[in-house]
Amino acid sequence: MLPENSKINEMARLKKLQKIDPPRNIRLKFRKVGSLQYTSHLDLQRTFNRVIVRACIPVWYTKGFNPHIKLVFSTPLSVGAQSECEYLDIKIDREMSCGEIMERLNHELTEELCITDVYYPIDDFSEIGYAEYDMKIHTVGNSEKMAEDIKKILITSPLMLTKRTKAGDKEIDIIPLIKSIDVRYSSDEDTVNINTVLRASATEFLNPEMLVTALKNSLGILSTDLSKEWYEIVRKEIFKEDMAVFR
Amino acid sequence: MNKEISSILKSVSKPGRYSGGEYGQIIKDKNSVKARFAFCFPDTYEIGMSNLGMRILYGVLNEQEDVWCERVYTPWVDMQEKMKEYDLPLTACESGDELREFDMIGFTLQYEMSYTNVLNMLELAKLPLRSSERDDSMPIVIGGGPCAYNPEPVADFFDLFNIGEGEEMLPELCRLYIQMKEEGRYTKEAYLHEAARTITGIYVPSLYDVSYNDDGTIKAYAPKYDDIPTKVTKRIMTDMDRSYFPSKVVMPYIETVHDRIMLEVFRGCIRGCRFCQAGIIYRPVREKSPEVLNDQAKCLFESTGYDEISLTSLSISDYTELEALTEQLLEWTDDNKVSLSLPSLRVDSFTKELMDKIASVRSSSLTFAPEAGTQRLRDVINKNVREEDLMRAVGVAFAAGKNTVKLYFMNGLPTETYEDIKGIATLAEHVIDAYYKCPERNRSQKPQVTISVSCFIPKPFTPFQWEAQDSMETLAEKQEFLRTQITDRKIRYTYHDARVSRVEAVLARGDRRLAAALELACREGFKFDAWDECFDYDRWISVFERCGIDPAFYANRAFGLDEVLPWDIIDCGVTKEFLRRERDKAYAENTTPHCREKCSGCGANKLGGEKTCCPKIAK
Ligand code: SF4
Repeated sequence: MLPENSKINEMARLKKLQKIDPPRNIRLKFRKVGSLQYTSHLDLQRTFNRVIVRACIPVWYTKGFNPHIKLVFSTPLSVGAQSECEYLDIKIDREMSCGEIMERLNHELTEELCITDVYYPIDDFSEIGYAEYDMKIHTVGNSEKMAEDIKKILITSPLMLTKRTKAGDKEIDIIPLIKSIDVRYSSDEDTVNINTVLRASATEFLNPEMLVTALKNSLGILSTDLSKEWYEIVRKEIFKEDMAVFR
Repeated sequence: MNKEISSILKSVSKPGRYSGGEYGQIIKDKNSVKARFAFCFPDTYEIGMSNLGMRILYGVLNEQEDVWCERVYTPWVDMQEKMKEYDLPLTACESGDELREFDMIGFTLQYEMSYTNVLNMLELAKLPLRSSERDDSMPIVIGGGPCAYNPEPVADFFDLFNIGEGEEMLPELCRLYIQMKEEGRYTKEAYLHEAARTITGIYVPSLYDVSYNDDGTIKAYAPKYDDIPTKVTKRIMTDMDRSYFPSKVVMPYIETVHDRIMLEVFRGCIRGCRFCQAGIIYRPVREKSPEVLNDQAKCLFESTGYDEISLTSLSISDYTELEALTEQLLEWTDDNKVSLSLPSLRVDSFTKELMDKIASVRSSSLTFAPEAGTQRLRDVINKNVREEDLMRAVGVAFAAGKNTVKLYFMNGLPTETYEDIKGIATLAEHVIDAYYKCPERNRSQKPQVTISVSCFIPKPFTPFQWEAQDSMETLAEKQEFLRTQITDRKIRYTYHDARVSRVEAVLARGDRRLAAALELACREGFKFDAWDECFDYDRWISVFERCGIDPAFYANRAFGLDEVLPWDIIDCGVTKEFLRRERDKAYAENTTPHCREKCSGCGANKLGGEKTCCPKIAK
């Protein structure tokens, strides 16, 4: 990688290269797990700003009085959820290969927040339709019965939930927002493991946290001791409306 | 991060304070290091992460291969409740290990109101509060930072204090610890004695007996051994160019108070405002050269990606090579979209040229600190600033399109009269007038002047260390009087809570007998007293009462000029005679030239130092 104390020179070198006009879009696929699940969207934005500078990516800056790096993130992820599949689009205005961009960025990142792919975007963020999640619910005892209960409740529409909107609280049925769901009991850790695909388009979006809340409300699970009962959510994949993998 | 903490984080505010995993944190193998050091900042993560001293000392300790220094902050109230509910101890950021497992725990004492957090953290760590109750198997508890210059109120809780700058002292303490462990001669008692005997700047309170007079004042300090100093001399880094400065820092994910590169341009201050503790205890001024600073800034930019460099030193415009430094920085900062910020500008140095150079600074509002409303009182406190200087400075700012100015003042300064207080309002009005007189002003906007008034707190090692603080009633009257003097709606007026300032005065000038009160406060759950939402004056008074402590004895009493002061055990380099002379000059309304104009013989030059303005002492 770049030796220390040479990044400023490296930036100067890149600046001398031929400018790409208009700037080129680059898509970064990244992972956000472990400690990073508690990093908010705004904090993540700030972090990427610095990472891109540290990595000497020939990034394009907006014009005007206060030039800044343009970062466009895909589907929002709530604080407390992890992800193997986040997307961020940036623009570069000097030539650099996707492989090099990835290598440079990962040099400035940690295992818990790192780039897993870099490519020229194929699909548009507006084409996103669904997101797949793995959820793990840790409870004390009765997990097997709980898995059964969850299965039952998830096929009985409606499953009503209060959704906070700008126009006030709204009661909605979340069942139509669940594309598929698979609930299993796992004896390894005594957990209920759920794999689900939820609606994730710009207009219809089901936050997996809301699914957990619905289960909490209707089954009374996860209500007591946080040290023994908790859940994890990991976003696994993003799909388009036709269920083709988003690229 | 362990599972238990992780699940709890979903139910607390700002979980990013506790999740850890930052880029740049230092991870070592705990089984192969010889000493583990927990560096505790007794306030929230956001504040602690922004502290330059902590950044430096974290780096300096981890430079030693066999020492692993980790960070610890005070969990916010909601997190503490959860920790209690699930019986979780306080842990360090990097390893997630309990504090009890560490060899040394260091607290930085930045402000007196954080003392309750120190005890709170020891309690969360499940360690006994008092040094005398911690045995050989427990960590050594170390204190340092500006408040350690009067360590007495918290003396019973600490095993030892670092007096002065810690870059060399802390590693030396670790070396001694490791050496004694390896040689099999470590006991806490032996270690403390050895440290006090051999390392300059180390104060071990348990090795000194304090006796008191009948009137409650201190009679004497008596060292328990002949081979330890009778007065502990502060430690300084003599050559700032060679002094350790971190080339990288731990990068927080959440927003902290100072998310930027902090470049320490020099230590100390040439000014000598008579109420200011920092201006005395960091003497003598020692500068760094612009080349060294520029290299350090580049290095930090490359390792952090921060887009702002803040030149942090007291009264930054007194740096003799500011011009050269900003020139060197601007050679690369503009191109890399990094902006410079210069806090703490003095009005007499605020010029158009400087303003042009720092034009890239985000449109921050301007702040000046005249401290007092009349020239008479400004002379008393040796704030060598004249009204003309202020008017010229705001004129420059207004001409450049600014319309807001913030002015800092102090109420309750020695000799203050109502005339002086009225002067605060008058000065603010003059600033408003200056706006309308400025032809280049931004005509689409109205001016706004904010005056922020704090309460004078007599601090150790200042010429005003003997003064009585105004009673709370007097302070309240003064604050109210000033309100009546402000008639212009374009002037905003804010002031500090006098009750906080009073408790701060007690803790600042206290002696060892305050330990009982702090201990009781901790038992009763006091924490985050530097935060308005947590501070409860009546509960403090109740605690003092139940411990037989009269807060007025410490805050509102004029200390005798010949009295043995609690902090007399410390030698900060500046002599008591100098402070005394300065006090006399204050009452005579005479000013003292700054160190570069003329040396006033404060005594600090005995400590040595490169790139100072002190007369050299023949060795
Ligand atoms: S010795 Fe003189 S020049 Fe040095 S700090 Fe003291 S007063 Fe200032």
